[in-house]
Amino acid sequence: MYGELGNKLVQHAKRTQSLAHLPPYQTEIVRALTREVRDLDKDVAALLEPFQGSFNPSADPSTACALLVNHLCMRRNKRCLLAYHRVRADKLEEMCWAGVDVLERQQQQQQQEQSVAGRPRVEGALGGDVGNESSLSPEEEEYVRQYGDLLAAYKGQWTDIDLTGSLEPPRDLFIDVRVLRDAGEIQTEYGAINLTKNSQFYVRQGDVERLIAQGYLQRLG
Amino acid sequence: MDIDDILADVSTAAEPQESRDLQQLTRAWVAERVAPEVLPWPAGLMDRIEGRIRRQIELVEEQTGNMDPKANFRLIVIQTELERFKFLVRSFLRARIAKIDKYAQHYLSLAAQQPTLLAPTELQYLQAHIALLSRHYSTSFLSAFPPSLQRLDDTAGGISMVDGPDLDTVVFCRVLRDVGTVRVEGTDVEMNMRRGDVWVVRWGSIRNAVVERGDIELI
Repeated sequence: MYGELGNKLVQHAKRTQSLAHLPPYQTEIVRALTREVRDLDKDVAALLEPFQGSFNPSADPSTACALLVNHLCMRRNKRCLLAYHRVRADKLEEMCWAGVDVLERQQQQQQQEQSVAGRPRVEGALGGDVGNESSLSPEEEEYVRQYGDLLAAYKGQWTDIDLTGSLEPPRDLFIDVRVLRDAGEIQTEYGAINLTKNSQFYVRQGDVERLIAQGYLQRLG
Repeated sequence: MDIDDILADVSTAAEPQESRDLQQLTRAWVAERVAPEVLPWPAGLMDRIEGRIRRQIELVEEQTGNMDPKANFRLIVIQTELERFKFLVRSFLRARIAKIDKYAQHYLSLAAQQPTLLAPTELQYLQAHIALLSRHYSTSFLSAFPPSLQRLDDTAGGISMVDGPDLDTVVFCRVLRDVGTVRVEGTDVEMNMRRGDVWVVRWGSIRNAVVERGDIELI
């Protein structure tokens, strides 16, 4: 009571900041916190009720103190919730900028978990909801989708520049790359190149930047 | 064309527009990366640069089929330059967006007072982003709150929910034209800034000299 849950949530947020991936959304804590705020608000209303809107703090310091504590707790809880959601939203935005398809990765993870969790279910003992655990809340999934659209729209106004491109200053126009995974054929100004695994090419950096970011190619030298 | 451009015209009339634009872009890029707050959007400069990048891309596309080694070499030089320009613009825009995202509410209210602060596209992005975020907060938990606590820009209790950039951040700067005596607000420090000097000062105290008069550049 009185902010303990908020503290927990902030600790989660703090931990999230230094993690590479997004830990599961704390649905329970968020729900409990919202409930706490509503309870506190009810308390405030109940405390104020006998005064009929003409409450004088100096006449009744103890009630005034109770009200103040309740108010502060509500605000603090709100702040904790906002901070928690903002940290996660920032993380998701970062992934959007880096070109990671968050939703797709989510699905893959779920499928993997399901295939792992599928086996014991046949034997009967475990419940079915293990595999459905997603690290994003439904609201966050919606947010990622919309933010992705927004980012694409903003990027679309700067097509020549490629906003999500590398933030390293360019040194060479052409670079050596090695193909780590088959990436098929790509079109460049100098004709088509067939990227088969373990082959090596000397190509224009702008043409293959995306493939390097996606892990198909490795930059040499 | 504002007073800065006219002044720049007088002092550097000998240099062609292109190299001055590059210098200005580089300066704007460095300043944007160093300054704690978003600086006014250089609309004219960005329009020129954008147009030039587009023309160069077209030129490269036209000439690609050319197998003459001399033309080919020139093309490589042009492409390298193009990549560098693109990097400058990209990094510049990203630095701005990062700051706009960080203090979204602050810049939303500021943009209403200073229409030239953000580019139209940036303002669009900012508005859409804030709308998205508040909808996200609202569906996640805020809609279940008592109505008096649902606002995102509350200032109750003497604490504003809207966070702004810290204007007292320290920056490194170089003086381009004699500025004279500069005072740091809230202290009794006075500096005599002369051309060519390099100083480490609070951003707030030299802000006007950088943004409005262009007497000082950030490094």
